[in-house]
Amino acid sequence: MDFQPLPHAFPFRFADGVVERTGPAQGRVRASVTANAAAVRATGFPSAALAELVAQSALLLEGGDSALGRKGFLAGISDFVVERLPEPGDVLTVDVAIAGRLGDTVKFEGVVRDAEGGAIARGAVTVKQGSA
Amino acid sequence: MSEDLKKKVKELIVRQLKLEMDPATIADDAPLFGDADGGLGLDSIDALELVLGVEKEFGIKVQDEEVGVKAFASVNALCEFVRGKAA
Repeated sequence: MDFQPLPHAFPFRFADGVVERTGPAQGRVRASVTANAAAVRATGFPSAALAELVAQSALLLEGGDSALGRKGFLAGISDFVVERLPEPGDVLTVDVAIAGRLGDTVKFEGVVRDAEGGAIARGAVTVKQGSA
Repeated sequence: MSEDLKKKVKELIVRQLKLEMDPATIADDAPLFGDADGGLGLDSIDALELVLGVEKEFGIKVQDEEVGVKAFASVNALCEFVRGKAA
């Protein structure tokens, strides 16, 4: 039987969609931080979720679909620095560029910015394309 | 094979993967991947980090996974690969 995964909803889905493509696996993605998100209500937006946001953004730019899945998953985080956590109502943009690729393992550099363009987090994530 | 190159490659592995070990303790022919005795037990994420390190250190691009698996089999294999690309 073919397994058809259900679309992931918040708190698992952070990236809304691609705003701009500037090159292969490079571009800008938008992310809205919603007030009714369980993660925000309970404990605030977790730092690790910003790394997940960069990974989701990267996988969207790699051809994933924001509603149906991103054809991969976060496999590693390195040199990731969080300046401040986003709050409900924030609309973030994520600038992502590919750093390297070997087969289905891809490393991206990402910068998460607030509405004013200030960087609130930056660092590298490694994603594995395909199913877990 | 040049001992200087082996030393450079071992230092690259330790630095790039942030390993807490003396580069000199890596055996020349020990498998870098998998769980074999004496091996480093690296995985595909580490392989990509090595690809980036080799590109930065030696200016050699590796994008084919099959090539990467062979090139990163051991310190000796990686030295052979670097020497072959430099020739």
